[in-house]
Amino acid sequence: MAESAPQPAVANQDISRRSFLKLGWGALLGFFASSAGATLRFIFPNVLYEPPQTFKAGRPEDYSIGVSTRWLKEQRVWIIRTEEGIYAMWARCTHLGCTPNWFQAENRFRCPCHGSNYTTAGDVIAGPAPKPLYRCAIRVLASGDLLIDKSVLEDRPGLREKPQFFVKYTGNNSTPAPANA
Amino acid sequence: MPFQLPPIPTAEELKKKVIDSAIWRSIFRGGVWKDTPRDRAQHILGNVWLHLQPSRVRKNGLKWTYTFGLGGLSFFLFLILTVTGVLLMFYYRPSVDLAYRDMKDLEYAVSLGSFLRAMHRWSAHAMVLIVILHMVRVFLTGSYKSPREFNWVIGVILLVMTLLLSFTGYLLPWDQLALWAVTVGTNMAAASPGLGAEGPFAMLGRSNDVRFVLLGGTAVGANTLLRFYVLHCVFVPLVAGALMILHFWRVRKDTFSGPPITPQELPHDKVDTWPHLIVREYIAALGCMIFISLWSLLQKAPLEEMANPTVTPNPSKAPWYFTGLQELLVYFDPWIAGVVLPTLIMVGLMAIPYLDPDKTKGTGRYDFKERPLAMTYFLFGIGMWFSLIFIGSFLRGPNWDIYMPWESWLIHKPPPPHTWSLPLGWGLLVVGGYFIVGMVLPLLMGPQFEWKKALQKGLLVILGAAAVIKISAHMAWEQILWLVIFIYVYYILGVLVPRRHLVNQPKVRYAITMVLVLMMLGVLMKMGVRLGFHIKYVLTVPQFQLNI
Repeated sequence: MAESAPQPAVANQDISRRSFLKLGWGALLGFFASSAGATLRFIFPNVLYEPPQTFKAGRPEDYSIGVSTRWLKEQRVWIIRTEEGIYAMWARCTHLGCTPNWFQAENRFRCPCHGSNYTTAGDVIAGPAPKPLYRCAIRVLASGDLLIDKSVLEDRPGLREKPQFFVKYTGNNSTPAPANA
Repeated sequence: MPFQLPPIPTAEELKKKVIDSAIWRSIFRGGVWKDTPRDRAQHILGNVWLHLQPSRVRKNGLKWTYTFGLGGLSFFLFLILTVTGVLLMFYYRPSVDLAYRDMKDLEYAVSLGSFLRAMHRWSAHAMVLIVILHMVRVFLTGSYKSPREFNWVIGVILLVMTLLLSFTGYLLPWDQLALWAVTVGTNMAAASPGLGAEGPFAMLGRSNDVRFVLLGGTAVGANTLLRFYVLHCVFVPLVAGALMILHFWRVRKDTFSGPPITPQELPHDKVDTWPHLIVREYIAALGCMIFISLWSLLQKAPLEEMANPTVTPNPSKAPWYFTGLQELLVYFDPWIAGVVLPTLIMVGLMAIPYLDPDKTKGTGRYDFKERPLAMTYFLFGIGMWFSLIFIGSFLRGPNWDIYMPWESWLIHKPPPPHTWSLPLGWGLLVVGGYFIVGMVLPLLMGPQFEWKKALQKGLLVILGAAAVIKISAHMAWEQILWLVIFIYVYYILGVLVPRRHLVNQPKVRYAITMVLVLMMLGVLMKMGVRLGFHIKYVLTVPQFQLNI
């Protein structure tokens, strides 16, 4: 019956049935999409109550040459001193995030979860880890303390030896380095 | 006339009186019970719980040795888990400071707390096992075939839901297992392509990627515990419950599977669901309940030390149903082993009903000979998965080194040898060659083909090649043995079986099936070259983290 109705009936309408439905479905779709978007936004927290990522790790002369596990339990960081200087390595396996263990006799870090092995430089020598261990930003404060920042990380050879991640220190003969605490 | 007490009704009369009373009949639909087949049908149809069953079932479907009651038991275990889980919620607070303390309270202070927790934990383990066995049963009897293809797909999703329920559940005690399992699990999510901060094509960072959403932060902490609590107690059970309704409804509508009906057996081979099927279901549930209760009385639920975000237990092992995945993670880049392979396994499982070339053969009975292709690959895949679980659970010790079950974990093993990767060119050649040659080799086998002769010829050729390699290259005997075994397995499953059963299929089905089969065998080959030849990656393109 509506199909056979004369044209003026349609012309009187401000909006045709087709475009009304288009608008309606469009609005509904838009509503669902924005609801989904809002829900997605909702589950991202805006404020995190996480511990600070920087800490003071004592003075360079506190460390003897080798790997120090002094800060492992508290900060999950190894402090490693070589002949040339000191760097801090984040004790988080780059494979899936477990804490590797340090084995002095083998001179390796070995991860208990999937068996990744690393050198003291952090390079992978066995197991599945795809990337070297991360080094943390490190610098010497005016007080002489080492400040380590776990939120600034680097694992690329060449960049990880830059001053931001490496403190030059060749030792002070007047104060003999104490053994690892 | 002396006053007379009405006669004391017998139990039978009393029962009839109660059942015929207006109140009883208002509660239970169906009118006066006369124990006719019609009444028994009405008993099923008129009851909200029982109406999931048809009113009459075929005798064949009732045999214990046909279904083993595995589907029903999966659901029954879900019910046990719901009840015990709700009870545990009365004493559990999902906060970092309180969760572990509440666990200790449940273990030592709450009456029957230890028992209920054990029951919840062991029922969860049992449910994973029973759901897997249910899937195997449905496969072996060909019950996924038309018109039940889609219900098989829902079943695979329900398997994922079961695993998710288990995974979200074991964060809640806030012990070491909890913390490290969730650390590893969410880092796998962070390795997802695109959506994870550490995966290939990463578009998001540490503070807005998929791991961040799961954790509610950048590391496992208070937000994570709360999120997993909500997921475990509300979200996943609701989704799983909705899918179960769909699953059961389809079982009901597609009719219970059984051998194809022949016209002769139709009238007399059906029996009333009440009591024949219902009684069997209750007996199975009762047996399950007794078993789980006894087990939970005798064996406490494990509880490790309190969660410590800096120290990982050595070794750190997942529960048995994830040690297969944990072992798989040893051989590939995390996004390959943790995201791509599990997705492919699930998609591959879902694709089975659509790829199976035999649309009707061997339905409703355990018959290997009628469906050799499907049976061979499915059983091989299941066997491979449980072998991985076995290796991860029983052959791995501290530092994830290989320890035989009789070896003490106190013995320190020498560190693993340095691994190496093939150069890019060789990698492309090997992986590309593996897939291209693997795809065409069964097609080139020629029309004359005899199974036994091909087996013998193949073995001779492989042994000959091995001898040549042994003479010309430096290789240990066990490496040669390794090569022979793995290549022979490939020859049988990747060449001979497809040649015999797959080459006549339409091109698309042949191609998809072969790709899935080659990937399954490829995982095995890769494990072989890692364990036997210390090859870290066969193909490595660091730019795309394509490390296979």
